Amino acid sequence: MSTVAPWTPPASGPPMKRGRGRQSSPLSWRWGDRLALGFAWFAGIGLCVIAAAIVGYMGYRGIQYLRPSLLVQRPALSTTQSGSGGFLDPLIGTALLTVIGVLLAVPLAIGGAIWIAEYGRPTWLARVVESSIEMVAGTPDIVIALFGLSIFQLGIFAPFSFKAAGGGVFGKSFIAAGAMMSLIALPPLFTATRDGLQAVPMHMREAAFALGKTRIATIRRVLLPSVRSNIATGVTLGISRIIGDTAIIVLLLGETLRLDSQGSVPGIGLLRGTGSTLTSYVYGNSPAGEGAAPQKAYAAAFVLLLFVLGLNLIVDRIGRSSADATGMTVAGGIV
Amino acid sequence: MNRIRRLSLAFAVAGVLGVAAPAAASAVSTVTISGATASYPLVSLLAQKYVKLFPKKVKFKITQGGAQIGVNDVAAGRVSIGDVSRDPLAADPAGLVFYPIAKYGICVITNKSNPVPNLTQAQVISIFTGKTRSWAGLPGATASGTIDLISRTSVAGVLTNFQTLLLEGKKVSTIAAEEPSEGLMRAKVESDPNSIGFVSNYQSDKGTVNAVGLNGVACNKASITSGQYAGIARFYEVTKGKATGAASAFIGWIEKSAAAKKIIDTQWLSI
Amino acid sequence: MLERLRNPWPDHRAERTLGAVSLLVCALVVAMVVFVGIHAWPIFEHNGLSWLGSGGDLGRQLAEMQNTTQHPPPSAYHLRAWPVVYGTLLTTGVAVVLALALSVFSSIFIVELAPARLRRIAIPVIRLLASVPSVIYGLIGILVLVPFVGNHVISGAEKESVQNVVLLTGAGLSVTVVILTVMIAPIMVALICEALVSVPNSWREGAIALGVNPVRAMLAVTLRAARPAIVAAVVLATARALGEAIMISMVSGSRAFSPKPVDGLVFFFEPLRTLASGIVDYHEGIGAPALGSALYAWALLLLFSAFVLSIAGYLIKLPLRKFQVRG
Repeated sequence: MSTVAPWTPPASGPPMKRGRGRQSSPLSWRWGDRLALGFAWFAGIGLCVIAAAIVGYMGYRGIQYLRPSLLVQRPALSTTQSGSGGFLDPLIGTALLTVIGVLLAVPLAIGGAIWIAEYGRPTWLARVVESSIEMVAGTPDIVIALFGLSIFQLGIFAPFSFKAAGGGVFGKSFIAAGAMMSLIALPPLFTATRDGLQAVPMHMREAAFALGKTRIATIRRVLLPSVRSNIATGVTLGISRIIGDTAIIVLLLGETLRLDSQGSVPGIGLLRGTGSTLTSYVYGNSPAGEGAAPQKAYAAAFVLLLFVLGLNLIVDRIGRSSADATGMTVAGGIV
Repeated sequence: MNRIRRLSLAFAVAGVLGVAAPAAASAVSTVTISGATASYPLVSLLAQKYVKLFPKKVKFKITQGGAQIGVNDVAAGRVSIGDVSRDPLAADPAGLVFYPIAKYGICVITNKSNPVPNLTQAQVISIFTGKTRSWAGLPGATASGTIDLISRTSVAGVLTNFQTLLLEGKKVSTIAAEEPSEGLMRAKVESDPNSIGFVSNYQSDKGTVNAVGLNGVACNKASITSGQYAGIARFYEVTKGKATGAASAFIGWIEKSAAAKKIIDTQWLSI
Repeated sequence: MLERLRNPWPDHRAERTLGAVSLLVCALVVAMVVFVGIHAWPIFEHNGLSWLGSGGDLGRQLAEMQNTTQHPPPSAYHLRAWPVVYGTLLTTGVAVVLALALSVFSSIFIVELAPARLRRIAIPVIRLLASVPSVIYGLIGILVLVPFVGNHVISGAEKESVQNVVLLTGAGLSVTVVILTVMIAPIMVALICEALVSVPNSWREGAIALGVNPVRAMLAVTLRAARPAIVAAVVLATARALGEAIMISMVSGSRAFSPKPVDGLVFFFEPLRTLASGIVDYHEGIGAPALGSALYAWALLLLFSAFVLSIAGYLIKLPLRKFQVRG
């Protein structure tokens, strides 16, 4: 910006101290300004109150209905709340999908980010790649789910789910849902890694080159280790996207309450099979779904909220410990 | 970097197993079923019993969504069997074979707090086609104000049968709210004192809603068994062409065995 | 051999591999457009673009589509999906306008007015609000807000006034819009806050030195300087609102009904359906070719809007870089 500026350069992170105009009292202001002042207080406090109300209400319901036994019991189809069991299978389902989604997203996102930040030639191609990722980020999850359905119902993808007696491919499995979940986790992971790499000072690369390291060796031994915290933030954000997503689960995980493996090979059978996650469990047990056990829905939603809270804390931690080095910002934690 | 290399190894192994899996899977055959939400409880019970009797032979994957979805899925070869809660229609795709497995009654239901004892067929038609919009003046109704009309989504076989059997072929008014399944229809009527809807007798026999009599005949298991009640329909298992393999064995077992008949006769009526 | 294992990649091969990985992402986007487009094509073939218009009863049309299996006659593809398009525009539009007002003022509050202690709490709290899964919002909506509105806000007279048109249960426009606003406001707050903070302090101090009060300085100087960020926030929030499916499917009443402003107050309680929530509502019937095609056509429309928004977002970010704001 300017060279004469004696003021601190604009930096992100916690806002710096600002002088308040104490010389005038709001009572002497114009009506419009007083109204704006009032509305600003109202909106700000209102938003905090809403957040507190949501967390408080879910916490109250969660403590009311959550029993430790629910976490280890398998769910059952039942018309009564007491007979419907716990949500062990949805918990496992959520964990499984998270692992698949992250495993698939990490090479794509980090590979792409390295290419953009360190190579990026030709420029037009780099721009195309970047806008592709932005488009993935902007695509609604329900559209991604439909895309996944159209892909995995193709004949050649039958090994990823199973073929019905009539020859049609089922197209719904942990693999199918996990693959689409990786698309959900991709953009935050890519953005965090790319921004991290771009923030690494040039002299670090130059020093490595001067020592005779090749470009790729520099990336592996110097750059990637220095953006570890960015990658960790990206992965955490990706995970919180994955565990919170419902639309992909509803369309692509086959809507069976329990893990239902396909074929007789353990492990692979599970991946080819269907199941449920915490989100689909909440959806299914709300009045919008078949289970109609709102108490169980509250309990599962509370557990889900705890996960999200935990992930938020982790992002906060990583962000704070490396805030100065990487310039992670409030928006980086959300978008 | 060792870590990354080990991961890629794991992927390679997974890939090989993934290809090998279909060959190994043939030991236990999977019967996939989709369709009517009304017959879902019955078919689940039958499948459970079947698996218990013949373990390690067959696995079931049963989903519900509506009779029409069962017809679509089985016609497209996506499932082995379609559950259908309505009679075959002329518009159904050619080549489907319908195996009737049980009979059930379609009951008009209201909220417990509004125990309407009986309606004539004319009244039912007037209510469900949207001509009668208020509870005032209906005999036995304790609710007041607007009638909350609850119907099913268009894929429901029970809706199709309800329209042919009880509404003389007239269509349920578009004012009605549409519930995607039997269970949700019952839950809706349970919670809304002004509502009226229709379900298979399995749902109304649970006693959480008020089953309304039709033309002086109560709607319950007894009147359906005796054949007095007018709204009796059938559940079908539908296959593309004649049933073969595991699906054929399962349907044959439902039609013939005493164990299946016993299950059917708890809440429904065997053929 | 060992050397080769330790350092397997020469530079040019690494570059090409990484480039290929990046291109895979592009390929995925192209595949998405192609696959969704192929499945949506029959609707365009039989209706042109007029399926976006109004006419007839959408619920009946979709029922027709579901009831013709396998090889549907051309008549089965007849679709006039205006109610869901209108529902999407209505909910997104109203929610974005409300969220914009809410977030601009609460950003001013957080950056300018809040005591330091409150500010330290507010930012993580808002980030939490942004990451609460939509199904939890939906759960609160369907178990708390919908029954409340249905039992205590809507009067019997209001129900009777539209009793021959539609059923009012509490699920509808008002609950949908309120929850949607709460869902998208935090995203906007985060972006706007960041932009407000990065506007040079001296600009505002200059205004105050000229005798303007702090709030006016904020509105007239800082907010104006942060305009590109505000637009970017609107774009992002719009994308999120357009695509919200599960929550809306739970609390909107799920009727292909167009709420009519002429109905007065009742307008706010009328049920509706959006493109995204409609896909969730009908996904089980996707096996019927005509209905499947209709759902994919809705998805294509969503995809198209997302692309337009992301291009808009890119164009807006160009001047944004001037303030070193990362969007």
